[in-house]
This record gives sequence, structure tokens and C-alpha cells, in this order.
Amino acid sequence: MWCVGIVNSMNNADASPTPSLAGGSRGTIALVRRSLARRRRAERRFRLYGVSAIVVALIFLSLLFASIIGNGYTAFLQTYIKLDVYFDPQIIDPSGERDLQTLSRANYGALVKQAVSDLFPEVTQRREKRRLYGVVSTGADFTLRGMVLANPSLIGQAREVWVPADDDIDMLVKGNIDRDAAEGDRRLNDRVIGWVDRLTEEARVEKRFNTTFFTSGDSREPELAGIRGAAVGSFLTLLVTLALSFPIGVSAAVYLEEFAPRNRWTDLIEVNINNLAAVPSIVFGLLGLAVFINFFGLPRSAPVIGGLVLTLMTLPTIIIASRAALKSVPPSIREAALGVGASKMQTTFHHVVPLAMPGMLTGTIIGMAQALGETAPLLMIGMVAFIVDVPGGVLDPSTVLPVQIYLWADSPERAFVERTSAAIMVLLAFLIAMNALAVVLRKRFERRW
Amino acid sequence: MTTLNDALGLKVTDAEAAEDTAVGNAVEVRHTATIDRDHRETVGEIAVENPRMVCRGVDVFYDDKHAIKDVSLDVGCNEVVAMIGPSGCGKSTFLRCLNRMNDTIDGCRVTGEIKIDGQDIYDKGMDVVPLRAQVGMVFQKPNPFPKSIFENVAYGPRIHGLANNKADLEQIVVTSLQKAGLWDEVKDRLDQPGTGLSGGQQQRLCIARTIAVSPEVILMDEPCSALDPIATAKVEELIDELREQYSIAIVTHSMQQAARVSQRTAYFHLGDLIEVGETNEIFTNPRHQLTEDYITGRFG
Repeated sequence: MWCVGIVNSMNNADASPTPSLAGGSRGTIALVRRSLARRRRAERRFRLYGVSAIVVALIFLSLLFASIIGNGYTAFLQTYIKLDVYFDPQIIDPSGERDLQTLSRANYGALVKQAVSDLFPEVTQRREKRRLYGVVSTGADFTLRGMVLANPSLIGQAREVWVPADDDIDMLVKGNIDRDAAEGDRRLNDRVIGWVDRLTEEARVEKRFNTTFFTSGDSREPELAGIRGAAVGSFLTLLVTLALSFPIGVSAAVYLEEFAPRNRWTDLIEVNINNLAAVPSIVFGLLGLAVFINFFGLPRSAPVIGGLVLTLMTLPTIIIASRAALKSVPPSIREAALGVGASKMQTTFHHVVPLAMPGMLTGTIIGMAQALGETAPLLMIGMVAFIVDVPGGVLDPSTVLPVQIYLWADSPERAFVERTSAAIMVLLAFLIAMNALAVVLRKRFERRW
Repeated sequence: MTTLNDALGLKVTDAEAAEDTAVGNAVEVRHTATIDRDHRETVGEIAVENPRMVCRGVDVFYDDKHAIKDVSLDVGCNEVVAMIGPSGCGKSTFLRCLNRMNDTIDGCRVTGEIKIDGQDIYDKGMDVVPLRAQVGMVFQKPNPFPKSIFENVAYGPRIHGLANNKADLEQIVVTSLQKAGLWDEVKDRLDQPGTGLSGGQQQRLCIARTIAVSPEVILMDEPCSALDPIATAKVEELIDELREQYSIAIVTHSMQQAARVSQRTAYFHLGDLIEVGETNEIFTNPRHQLTEDYITGRFG
């Protein structure tokens, strides 16, 4: 009877054309064998689809990485030129008082110009001279000033100083300017190229690690531009976002999942939260502009506004992820706690929330990563401004990494191309680090029950 | 057999029927039932001399579904009451009424009177927290917290403030584990996760967790259904010992288990309490035809 029952049910499940039991178990096995090849083929086909999908994805990913890294790695090196600078007391500090005010306001440009024209005494024509001075970056002045302020005893001495080259020279040294092009078609004429070649022969040109890129804020001069301002701005913005969205999102999720009654209102709230997750982010930017800046009068371009707007944007993500995490806590844990007399609150906060925490953290970090890469809403609230200073607090005007990338991508100078790619690499590194953190947290706190 | 099941509107798989027949055959039954199958009033004595919990006219609704129909039953001091019956007959629902675990289910409504030591537990002023400390529960599937063995047992006393200091708490944990017969197996690894124990040990850990808050009544919802026979035997032994200090209401699908551990047995059928009586009486001398059908394995 048992046997017949099994065979019968198998036949039914297979919906085979031979409904009778006449064939017995042998007939069933023959049928199974016959269908086996077809099933195996389907299985192989499906696996092939999967593998090819992965391969295509990997190809695109490696194309992306190859293009970005290929474009951007040169930005981590910067061409420097060696000058023999005489720190002329007559120019820096004619009075000889060594007053800090005087020292910091002195005309260091004149020292640089002097040093450059000493290298090429044959250049005398005014226009040519101006072109010659353009070989070194305007940032060379700051290099000298920094040296003098740090060590005033330099005044009156001669020193070898490595100063950054102008971005066009940098491009020439890195091979991004085509020497074979007609003179009128390239940014540098033959004269300038000749000077650079002579400097190179004299071993006065060197490519060094570009610390400026990591230590300074934005600049109109590519060789002086860095991502520090944007990175700090991103950090402050994310700090505000995290400080607001994690507690609000988790509280909302816990309330909705554990305490709220199931009725029309909570259904409405749930639908709205899911809808908000799909709202284009620029809409949140407009909202921030209208509400936070126009109505509440908060300072524009500041990380605090960026954080508020990104909070609105990440809240749905965090709430949805947190609710899913809470849902996945088995009800038996709740029953166990209630069964020993824990109150609803104790059950939730002693057992359910700790168990859901890895999921909530993962959701939060993914939300944060999304916020880190967000540009559109920040354009609306003025974080797209050109800001040179590294922000010192959440109320200072600042910009963020993706907006910095957008700004640089928009700039005409050839040297900004590689800096754009370099900034993208930095942003990707942050994103990968955050997602890796999410994976680590999930692995570490994951509990089995 | 098939016709009988059809007549009763019950779906019984061959496997279940076979199993239950085996069970039925194990218990010797004289065919003594005299009360007709259509009779729905409870047969037998629902009250006991020394009741801990008194239930009168309890009805439970899940939204529109009438899950428990006018059930009255006492749980006496120091006795084990077994509740048996086919799946979906409402015995678990009734059990969960006794410490208001049904409150957590949306759309569940309980009417009637359930008193513990003379106090109505569905009274407006009644707080479920002390009630559940007074009426503990052990569930079908062992559900230790994903924490250490010590923390599992210490959790209840800690939230209720039963221990004044660490030594007290440790004493409670040790005593509870000893009472649950688990002490010797876990005394060297109290800091290990409770989820790492075997199924039977986990269930005894859950029992230890329940008795750590010193309840008066322990409700057990098929506590052995996920355990092997050896673990089951241990838990049954434990239930027998616990009877000296606690009142126990146990829901079980195993009639042998009901026969072994309980003093009184209640048979539920489709939301009705059909028959209550001394366990011996019920299994050897059932008065209601439905009870006899069930224990002789004529339907699951």
C-alpha cells in the first residue's frame, strides 16, 4: 500500500501521460530516465546563462576600472622643477625686522621669477619672459613662503628648491601633449618645449608623488588642486547623515514592525516609505532648497544641509532594510522572551533588535554608500560652489567628492582629466571600503538560531 | 476507515493513520463509549478539589473563526493535565489563553473567565508581565536565546529583579538547571551559546529558563515533538518531578506521553472540550464515542 501510494503520487506530480499503475514502478523509472536528458540539458543551459551573465558583468566592470585607472594613475605623480632660489632680503624683508606679517606678505613671486630668468638669461623679450615664468606653477610662491615662514634664517641664503611645474608642462612631461602636432595646434609652442627639454637635460625636472592632491582643496590650477576639501566635506556630510538617519530610520522601523497596530494608517505609511525610496534624488534637493534654506534659513553649501537632504534620501533605504532585518528574527525568540514575562519593550530591545542589528547596520552602510555617491540633490543646495578652503565644520561651505568630480570633469584644462579619474578612484576606494565594512559586520554579528 | 473519515470531514493521510493505529493498539481500550458522536457538552468532571487555574466558558475567536467553544476546565495544584486531540482542535489555542500569549496574535479575541488563584487574568487591570512570570511556558520547538547557557536561564530572574546580587543570580541559575536535570551536562560550559546544545538539552534549557522565574503553572505546548525518544524520556521524567512543585498543563500529540505523565486528560475536538477525566479512565474507559475513536486510532 505504501509503495503504491508513493508511485501514485509521483505519477501525479509528474503529470505523466500514463496514469495507470499497470506499469508499476518499472514503468515510472523508464519515464524518469527518458526525461532525464531533457532535465540535465535545461540545467546546463541555465548554468551557462548564469556564467555568461557574470562574465559580461565582469567585462564591463574591468572596462570601467581599466579606463578610470588608466586615465587617472598619472595624477598621483606631479612634475616638479628644481630652481636655485636666492632668498633676497631686499625683496622679502627690506626692513630686517623679521615681522611675521611682512614675511607672509612678501613678494615671493619675484624670487621665483628671478630664479627662472637666471636659468634662461638669453630670454629678454617681455612676452617671452612672461611665457617663461609660466613654466613653473603659481603655487611656487606658496612653496617659498612656507619655507621662509618655517625657517626665517633662510633669508639671505641661496637654496635649491623643487617647485611644482605648470599643468601644461606637467602634461608635456607626462606625454599628454603631442610634440609632432603643428605648433598652432598645441598648447605649448616650440620655444617652451625647448626650455623644458633643456631643464630635463640639466636634471632639473622630476616626477614626484603628488601630495598636493591629497592635502589641499580645490583650485583653478590643476597642479594645485586637491581633493582634501571635498573628502572632508563628504565626511562631514555623511556624519550628519548618519547621525540623523540611523536613529530615525531604526526607530521608525522598530516602531512600525514591532509596536504599530496593523491598520489602514500603517499601510499608508508603508506604501509611502516604499514610494519615497523610488523618488528621484533631485526632488529631495529641491525640497532641501525650499525648506531648509529658504524657510529655515540654514547656511547654503554647508554639510549640515547636505546631510539633512541625504538623510531624507537614505531614510527609506534604512527603514526598509531594518524592517526586513526585524522580520527575519524568528517569532520563536519573541515568544521565548514574552513567555518568561518580558514586556514588549524588553523583548524588542533585549532580543529582537540585537539580533536584527547586523541587518540594520548593513542597510545603513549601503544607504551611506549611496549617499556618498549622490550628486544631484547637492547641486540644488549649493554644494556645487567652487570652494578652495578645507571645511572646518558642518556649517562651513564645502563640496563633496562626487560634486568635485563633476566640477573637474567640467573644467577645460587637460590636467583635470587625470585628476577627475583620480578623484573617481578615491571615491571608489571609499565605497569599496564601506561595502567591505558592511560585509564584515554582517559576517561578524551574524547569529544562527 | 475512509468512509468514517469522510463522514467526519477529516483529512487523514495514510501515514498518520498508521502511526495512530499503532499508538491506539498500544493502549488497551475496552469499547465502552456510550455517548453519541454528536454530543458536544463536556463529559466528565471539569473541576478539581484544589484548583490553581479555573476556566469557565472560554470562547476564542480568530477574527470570525470560532476556535474554542465554551470550554471549562480546571488545572489543579501539583497535577499534570494533558490536552489531546487532532490537529487544529484548539488545544494549543486554549493553552495559550492561560498566560495570554494569544494577545500577540492579531485578531484574536478571548471571552469567558480564566482565573488564577481567584484573579481573572483577562481583567482590565491585569498586567501580562507578572502573569507570565506566574504562568510560564515551554514551546513546541526549543527556542533558547542566542546567548550563553547562563544568560538564557538568568534572563527571567534578571528582568524581574528576583536576585539581589550576582551570587543570588548564580544560585538561581544553578538550582534551575539542576531542577531541569541539565546541570551535570552543562556545568562546565555555562558561557557557551545555548543554541549549541542538542535538541533535548535545548528543550530542558528552556524548561530551566521557565522555572528560573519560579512560576506556579507551567504550560507546555508539545514540548517533545521535536525530540528523539531518549530526550523525550528525560523530559517526561522531568515533568513528573516538576509536578511536586508546579501545576503543569501539557499539550501533546502522543497519547502514550499523555498516559505516562498526566493525572488528568482532556480531549478536544474541533474547538469543543469533549471529555475530561482521570487519565486512566480516559484511556481505558472513555465515555464519549469521539474520545474512543481518537484513542483507538480510528481517526487522527
